[in-house]
Amino acid sequence: MYAIEVEKLRKEFKSYSSRSGLAGAFRDLFTRNYKIIRAVDDISFTVKQGEMVGYIGENGAGKSTTIKMLTGILTPTSGRVVVNGMNPHKERERFVQTIGVVFGQRSQLWWDIAVQESFRLLKKVYRVSDQDYNEHMDHVIETLDIGPLLDKPVRKLSLGQRMRCELAAALIHNPPLLFLDEPTIGLDVLVKLKIRQFLKEINEKYNTTILLTTHDMTDIEALCERVIMLDEGKIIYDGSLQRLKQNWGEGKQIHFQFRDIVPKEELMLLVDATWEQGEDRYSWIAHVRATDMAHVIGKVVSSYELKDIHIREVSTEEIIRNIYEEGIHHG
Amino acid sequence: MFYISIFFQYMSQYVKTKLQYRTDLLVEFLSDLMFQGVNLIFILVVFGHTQLLNGWTRDEIIFIYGFFLVPFSLFAAFFNIWDFNERYIVRGEMDRVLTRPVHSLFQIVLERMELESLLGGITGLIVMGYAVSRLHLSFHWYDVILFVLFVLGGTFVYAGIFISLASISFWSDARSSIMPMMYNIGNYGRYPVDIYNRVIRYVLTWVLPFAFVGVYPSAYFLRKTEWYTYSFLTPVMGIVCFTLSVLLWNAGVKRYRGAGN
Repeated sequence: MYAIEVEKLRKEFKSYSSRSGLAGAFRDLFTRNYKIIRAVDDISFTVKQGEMVGYIGENGAGKSTTIKMLTGILTPTSGRVVVNGMNPHKERERFVQTIGVVFGQRSQLWWDIAVQESFRLLKKVYRVSDQDYNEHMDHVIETLDIGPLLDKPVRKLSLGQRMRCELAAALIHNPPLLFLDEPTIGLDVLVKLKIRQFLKEINEKYNTTILLTTHDMTDIEALCERVIMLDEGKIIYDGSLQRLKQNWGEGKQIHFQFRDIVPKEELMLLVDATWEQGEDRYSWIAHVRATDMAHVIGKVVSSYELKDIHIREVSTEEIIRNIYEEGIHHG
Repeated sequence: MFYISIFFQYMSQYVKTKLQYRTDLLVEFLSDLMFQGVNLIFILVVFGHTQLLNGWTRDEIIFIYGFFLVPFSLFAAFFNIWDFNERYIVRGEMDRVLTRPVHSLFQIVLERMELESLLGGITGLIVMGYAVSRLHLSFHWYDVILFVLFVLGGTFVYAGIFISLASISFWSDARSSIMPMMYNIGNYGRYPVDIYNRVIRYVLTWVLPFAFVGVYPSAYFLRKTEWYTYSFLTPVMGIVCFTLSVLLWNAGVKRYRGAGN
């Protein structure tokens, strides 16, 4: 049984484009120019129970729109969505009982009241029994280390503190499926690590399915084995992060820092690799296959005097950037 | 049952929040009290000049005004949705509401509760008491039940109209300035409708049935037999208005576009 089944899902928005100038504004009064924007364009995918999936894409690629359709906030224009065996927007109230949602940029907690009061209210809203609550939440509160924050009002918390509380609030009813929309945005490294650690634990302990959108590739690397990549409303990649890296990032980057200025042509003649200018005129970066690495270094070292040299793997971030710049079919 | 328990949870939370700011609470209470006092004086001054209005005596009009304040204060306390568009649609708070397993409108009613508005209802009762003492009206035991029914009817008429207006936000992005205008039109309901011309009377009865918040139900207690049919229609109108508005709301939620982030 799948946690999420999506088939040919589409969402269109009608948007008005206003004409320029005063005359244009008058014309807009009578006939509006509108165009239909397809935010999500016939996407299909399935997610198994217990999977952690990274849902990535540039701003405006349709990530949030998809998540909002999966959580029942938006009604799809066409297509089929079944999440936890239900149609999200049709049976909204019954459905949301089975999911947890965290929007990184929007608070789920009440601003003025203490965190534990928010929790209590949510406990009532989700009809969680005292026993379940204590059993489950004691653990959550301990792992996220938010015990000391519970009696403070939300408005007095720092972003990192608030985010941990948000996460706990989304888990009050121990949902089998968790949607996280940019949960680590603006957080420092320590908090990020803590949140990742916690998500892994929840996933192992309760077999919770997690769908995560983020701009921080280190989140994805730490958590997700599978990524779904979105561009202009279409899925351009759906598969393991491992494979993505193999196809796209098998090469290495070698940074050379020369003692003298070396022209690019000379380097090109010396070794057959893609050369790129580094931070200053003395440094060059060679993009090579892993197997050619020793050969390239040998050649360069024997021909020029070097100040420094280091080798880097292509980061996921760069892979993603390359894909967006060049299209998926390159590798 | 679930909804009732949730209601009390939110209410106790609301009270707790208010109690947190002690000075604020005191200031607010005093200013509300003063506002109601000024209101009271204003009514007496205004109606001091009118002795008879199209067959209605001064005290009868004061009674209608007093009655009007009761459903109106209930409305103001629980259906504080005049800024729904800005607060929930533009800022995207509706997203949060829609991810919780309680009817969206009910959640908004609970979140926007303003219990201090109920003070206005007490003013209303005082005004009515004053009018009654001068009119020498007599009441039966079942009038209490009718009073409650009529007040609830009026509250739901008001709520229905404003929920419908708020629902428009689901279809159009534009901020509407209709809300304040509607508050003004609502005030017409507290004067005897037969002083208006036929069109306005028709509108206030069947289109924007504000007359069911003030005049019509009051007519029963003032023993104006010619208006009894309308008086007894009050709870019916309340149910009809409210049901229609909730249906409109539900249709609107389906159209909700969300706010971009």
